[in-house]
Amino acid sequence: MNFALRIYRWLAEAFPHEFKLVYGADILQLGENVIDEIARRHGVAGLIPLIADIAIRVPAEYLSEMRRDLRYAARALVKSPGFALVGIVSLGIGMGVTTMLYNSKLQLISRDLPAAANAKRLVMAEKPVSYYYIEQYRDQKTLFTGVAALQTGIPFNVTFENDLNSRPERVFGQLVSADYFSVLGVRPQRGRVLNAGVDKPGDAPVVVISDRFWRNRLDSSPDAVGQTLRVNGQPATIVGITPKNFNGALGVNPAELFVPVTAPAALAPELTNDVLDQRNAKEFLAIMCLAPGVSMESAEAGLDAVTHRLDDQNSSAQTRTGKGRRVTLLLAGGMVPLPRNLKSVLIGFFAALMALIMTIACMNLANMLLARGANRRKELAIRLAIGASRFRLMRQMMSEGILLSLLGGIAGFPLAYGLSILKSKFTPPMAVPVEPESAPDWHAAIFVFALAIVCGIGFSLAPALRAAKADVAPALKEGSALQLPGYRRFGLRNLLMVAQVTGSLMLLLITGFLVMGMSKTSSIQTRFDPATMYLLSIDPARNGYTPEKAQAFFERLPERLKTAGAVRSVALAAQAPFPIQDEDDALQLTSDASRVQIAAVEETVGAGYFAALSEPMLAGREFEEPDQRSPADGSKALPAVLSESAARGFFGNGNAVGERVRDDKQSYEVVGVVNDLRKDIGISQSVVYLPLTRRNFARPPADGVTIMARSDAGTDALDAIRRQIAFIDPSLPIFNVRTLSEYLERSRSSERFAVDTYGGIGVFGLVLAAIGLAGVTAYAVAQRRKEIGIRMALGARKGQVLRLVLREGAAVVAAGTVLGFLGAIAMVKILSSLTSVFVSAFNVATNDLRLVVGAPLLLAALAMLACYIPARRSAQIDPLKALREE
Amino acid sequence: MPKKDPQRLLPLKSHWFHIMLALAGGEQHGYGIMQDVRNRTAGKVRLWPATLYGSLKRLIEAELIEESDERPAPELDDARRRYYRLTAFGRRVLDAECDRLQELVRSIRVKQAMVTE
Repeated sequence: MNFALRIYRWLAEAFPHEFKLVYGADILQLGENVIDEIARRHGVAGLIPLIADIAIRVPAEYLSEMRRDLRYAARALVKSPGFALVGIVSLGIGMGVTTMLYNSKLQLISRDLPAAANAKRLVMAEKPVSYYYIEQYRDQKTLFTGVAALQTGIPFNVTFENDLNSRPERVFGQLVSADYFSVLGVRPQRGRVLNAGVDKPGDAPVVVISDRFWRNRLDSSPDAVGQTLRVNGQPATIVGITPKNFNGALGVNPAELFVPVTAPAALAPELTNDVLDQRNAKEFLAIMCLAPGVSMESAEAGLDAVTHRLDDQNSSAQTRTGKGRRVTLLLAGGMVPLPRNLKSVLIGFFAALMALIMTIACMNLANMLLARGANRRKELAIRLAIGASRFRLMRQMMSEGILLSLLGGIAGFPLAYGLSILKSKFTPPMAVPVEPESAPDWHAAIFVFALAIVCGIGFSLAPALRAAKADVAPALKEGSALQLPGYRRFGLRNLLMVAQVTGSLMLLLITGFLVMGMSKTSSIQTRFDPATMYLLSIDPARNGYTPEKAQAFFERLPERLKTAGAVRSVALAAQAPFPIQDEDDALQLTSDASRVQIAAVEETVGAGYFAALSEPMLAGREFEEPDQRSPADGSKALPAVLSESAARGFFGNGNAVGERVRDDKQSYEVVGVVNDLRKDIGISQSVVYLPLTRRNFARPPADGVTIMARSDAGTDALDAIRRQIAFIDPSLPIFNVRTLSEYLERSRSSERFAVDTYGGIGVFGLVLAAIGLAGVTAYAVAQRRKEIGIRMALGARKGQVLRLVLREGAAVVAAGTVLGFLGAIAMVKILSSLTSVFVSAFNVATNDLRLVVGAPLLLAALAMLACYIPARRSAQIDPLKALREE
Repeated sequence: MPKKDPQRLLPLKSHWFHIMLALAGGEQHGYGIMQDVRNRTAGKVRLWPATLYGSLKRLIEAELIEESDERPAPELDDARRRYYRLTAFGRRVLDAECDRLQELVRSIRVKQAMVTE
């Protein structure tokens, strides 16, 4: 019973101060009175409701106090709508941008692969290897519990059995080894997944479909399992459905269909030529599940040793890589495979960027609240005098902060939503579909809420502490002007301001570096109106065409299309024109004559390609139809066209035509030279153009073979083109239909969007800093009113007074600028040393004087302007009035 | 202050009703209210101390009751105890609630009569 009494007393002590002041003693006494009586009548069990009652009432009282605080805070905000509006808008922008970053970047990086039980232990080799290597990797039982092979981003033409007349749909999927699902730890939601024990070569073809495929294409039919699909013209039975949200390993490129690598080659052109048995066909990604207790480092070292051994055994492999590392493992348990140290760096970078944005917004609010706190000194003093506790006042100030912050969050969430919708409209054209960024969901909503609470407390803490220190007597004095704390040169507020200028400049510089690094694009200048060229893609190999039939089809196609009325010229290519390609995929070419080696990215184009683009040949000729029949098996030199910079790299100003260059598989004879087509957008890559051959027709890239058809301006040739293709084969799907101008527009739009966003963030920081500085200066002027009055009475001129006030602002701006500059440089250095991702962007930009000198100057100028406007008011002080107050 | 409409507070929360009923006979202190409610309901409704004072606080805020400054004879009084009584408005609200309940009981009776017949 004594124990119960102790708990009761302890809980009674926990009531909020104001409540305790009035009822605390009564509750305590009443409890002590009844506790004996109850224990006598009902025993110890009778005390339980008594304790439960008080345990519930304590938080209830706090909630009710909080409600009252919030109501009071709302009234206070309504009374100063200007302050509330500026606060909500700046917090809203800050939180909106932060939430968007959180949703689009942080979630993408940090989320585990959905529905994969082994996600934490999944790794994958960075470079594709041959299937033979993966079989050898599987023997490393001490390192891995399983190793699966996959090819991702594979298009399939799918026809539904019950609807044979329909055109096939183009669906992207993965070719996977039978142990793929067990390595990932994925269980089916219906039917079964592929299984190494069951699915053997030579079996009737089976496929596993994703939940998305089942819902969108089969209307969630309960009889889906067991149904037969036609995949690339061949029948295949659905044996299972993957769990919800599972779209394959590498979740950013969603897969809807999982076809076993043991399927007959007719099911997928990728499986022709016995690709599983070819030691040199480096076409498979190896994804593995680490054995318990094995670190990524040791797995990487072990796998590297195995790969070295295999490379050495494999005499035909050209081991250009020498002694170095041959295997780099990536974390594969997320949506995007990442090197293991990059993941934490990226999370850190975005977290820091988010923190920086929110810090600036909060600093600003803190400053505005401090200034307001000075004006509300009297109100607070009165409340203190009539018995409010200091803690209560602090809580009051913090409630105002939190309320403001929550309102900011409410404004920020739709902003984040809108931004992400906007962003999804700016996706560049991709050969393989990319998982669209999800709009902010409840994760993001919780994030905003938590952010709002933290920020609300964060920025109201300093003003609240100061309010709690308020001195009652002088503030209450009748007729007194507001008694402000003494002027201190390096007070809390000035420190906040320096921090804010520093933060803004860092933000401006870092985002500026990113923007300049990325915006090397202006626009491609074509020699004709890009709206008159149509791009269409077809992929007959996936409609069951044999290589011979496909080649015949493509040889006939241009002639056929030219008979369509408005079409003036037609060309084929394996990719849309003016692609932006990764240097990593470049061919290493060596000239036979000069022994010069250069890296050139490869584009595969058909006969008449340059004519269709109105590009004159600088030397030699372009590809003609016979070139398309060249065997691409290394037995004979392939004709090649070089870009101007590639030709100059090899042969200086000499004649390139007729010379030979080679890579490790094939030799090429240069037949022509063209302009550098991409120099308009600041890309100075060397390009080698290779002819489309039977290999490309039989096994086109993921986005099919692109048909480029130019028509006369003002005529719409699209219908005629479609008719002509349908005339040859009505069942052939045509996809990715667009004009060249649409394509070019979209290729640049995502970069432009990123540039705009980052630029916007930088400008936002700048504006916030300016608002903050203006507030501080206004406050300083109010603070030093009397001092200024005395000075003016003693004969100081207006200019002198103005200088006096501005000097403080200038010191803050100077200190903040220097610190911000150093901070930004330090951050760039840290980021560049941690990862190569930002290096190129930063390298371009840090050498740019416009930014390095311009941004600090811009910020400083704006900040001084922000100081000047309120400072002018100091010169309007009437010394008589200022001195009379007190 | 604008005249408040008692109807807007109806139906009363059960705790509030019992406390106000306890005060209908005259002013009381917290312990007295607790005893009164328990005795009147034969122990079925118990107001535990924290709930009691939480409700008293809200009743005061709603201006249904007030603290009384009149004290009983000093020898009966414990100086620490606070006494509460109904306000005029509180009395009107209590009346309105009682009317409402009586109306309810009447209609229940009519229905019961129909059932038993």
